[in-house]
Amino acid sequence: MISARFHRSFDALDQVFGFTRRFYDAEGVPDEARLVLDFCLEEIFTNCVKYNRGNLQEIELTLDRAGDRIQARLTDFDVEPYDITQAPAVDISLPASAREPGGLGLHLVRRLVDDLTYDYTNRQSRITVTKNLR
Amino acid sequence: MFEIRLGDKGEVVCEGRLDASQAGKAQAFLDALAAPDVVDMARLEYISSAGLGVLLRTQKRLLQSGGGLRLVNPSRHIRDIFRYSGFDRIFQIDDGA
Repeated sequence: MISARFHRSFDALDQVFGFTRRFYDAEGVPDEARLVLDFCLEEIFTNCVKYNRGNLQEIELTLDRAGDRIQARLTDFDVEPYDITQAPAVDISLPASAREPGGLGLHLVRRLVDDLTYDYTNRQSRITVTKNLR
Repeated sequence: MFEIRLGDKGEVVCEGRLDASQAGKAQAFLDALAAPDVVDMARLEYISSAGLGVLLRTQKRLLQSGGGLRLVNPSRHIRDIFRYSGFDRIFQIDDGA
């Protein structure tokens, strides 16, 4: 298991992806799972950035492998609760004229991962995604 | 790394990883084009919802004047992202330019 903390900024994504790449390389994670995990981590990380802009705390990312499962957990410190597993659904059947950018990220996270959990204690939000490799 | 440019046939070529830190660059490039039509994604490795937002905003602008984007050569992963987003209903998506 490895952990690191990242500055609360979109510009930190390069460092986040560098960190995940080193983990994927060490664990031999297949390309498809890498893309899915990076997608989910970006969506959750940027969600933390967008909705807690005044917060100066860094965001912690922990990666772990247990057999054929990869678990990635983002911890956001000193925040109000926001359970992303309860985010509103997106109607993907609407025509382009009725669609608005936004909301798709969490919709896709729920679609792509094998498990998504949210926990809130001591003003800390912990979001864990699990991706099975088989 | 993400690059966006015009190709030899006037198509928009996207390469690399289109994430939230690069979406502004992509949006500015597309906004500067009056009527982009083809976006070649053969070398686009990754797209997040920020990139999807760029495509959607551009498509809505173009549809108002009777145009629209054709997305060509997306990888299997990106094609899945488009399908799960419902983008296969609002964009023409092809395997070849």
